[in-house]
Amino acid sequence: MSAKQFEAFLARLYVDAGSRARLRSNPLAEAKNAGLSNAESKALENIDWVGLEMASQSFANKRELRRPRSRFSSLTDRLLRVISFLSDRVRRHSGRRGLE
Amino acid sequence: MAGVAAAGAETMNAIYDTVGIGWRPELAAGILDHHARIDLVEVIADDFFGEPRRVRALKTLSAQVPIALHGVGLGLASASAVETWRIERMAHLVESISPLFWSEHLAFVRADGIEIGHLAAPPRSDATVDGAAENLLRASRIVGVKPFMENIATLIEPPGSALDEASWISKILSASDCDLLLDLHNVFANGLNHGYDPKEFLRQIPAGRIRAIHIAGGKLISAPDGTQRVLDDHLHDVPDPVFDLLEEAAALSLNPLSVILERDGSYPSMESLLAEVSQARQALARGRTRRAERVEVPG
Repeated sequence: MSAKQFEAFLARLYVDAGSRARLRSNPLAEAKNAGLSNAESKALENIDWVGLEMASQSFANKRELRRPRSRFSSLTDRLLRVISFLSDRVRRHSGRRGLE
Repeated sequence: MAGVAAAGAETMNAIYDTVGIGWRPELAAGILDHHARIDLVEVIADDFFGEPRRVRALKTLSAQVPIALHGVGLGLASASAVETWRIERMAHLVESISPLFWSEHLAFVRADGIEIGHLAAPPRSDATVDGAAENLLRASRIVGVKPFMENIATLIEPPGSALDEASWISKILSASDCDLLLDLHNVFANGLNHGYDPKEFLRQIPAGRIRAIHIAGGKLISAPDGTQRVLDDHLHDVPDPVFDLLEEAAALSLNPLSVILERDGSYPSMESLLAEVSQARQALARGRTRRAERVEVPG
């Protein structure tokens, strides 16, 4: 499993109580289901369960506190995303042409 | 402005440290009333993304007091590439405000579409060192200025780590050529929660990279196993050990330091916050005196 996938696995653990419960009841099976390497499975077997629950609770509290975003803000975000996506594509395209 | 010139400055170049407060709407009136006693304010950048009216107000504020921008949502310390549009939002704000500096966290905040909601410590590995360095180099290029990167508090030792925290931070700073925003309450909390000596941690990170410092307070919370851990909630006064760490950092560093007092709620009176600002200045002065004495005594 790549480092990116392992981060995604951790993110799921931090936000989803069900994932944490499954990992706790059978760490090796859960790690295997997620396609983790032996080293990563070992790391999860030795996880700090108390810290995991406390951190997950703290993240949940923060999500709860997060203010709802304004409509204007989300429209601006979407526009910036489109501009950014298009400029990335133009950069990639001109980079390929440069290589040719 | 009330910057602190290092004690012993007669015999060496003066080091001008500055001390300020994190800007929060609840503190706005107090900060503006007492801006002569505050060297800078640090503003949460994410609160201004896509908010042109607020940005105009921020420009007005920047005429009153120097501003630093602090991001919380980029998630730069990740094996995944941060989306360009997120970095461009920061770039637009930095261009609009021209802050003293901008900063972000050595954390990941999302992965594979999952929003964690706060700053999470990624596995401390070579993969996240490389990923963070790539993100930081891209962010520096897009924004046009390198960020100061902040160490985070974590209630859990990140699983899958092969490096200790000090080595991981040092490697990222070296690979990205970025400087450090050293959060001393995070060092204090991680030290207590994960069993290391905070002062030893300060000696392990590159002192030459420390450019800015956060101080804050937290509280002890009880864990289900009966132990206690420190929660970095920014809702309490700065504890004495954090001022001791500030003195230590000032004794180690040659750079001018910008110190920010962070307070996110349970606000005390402005006089109490200003008293903490004064305590920070005193801790800096003690550290600078120690540094000057070391420089003056050969061997």
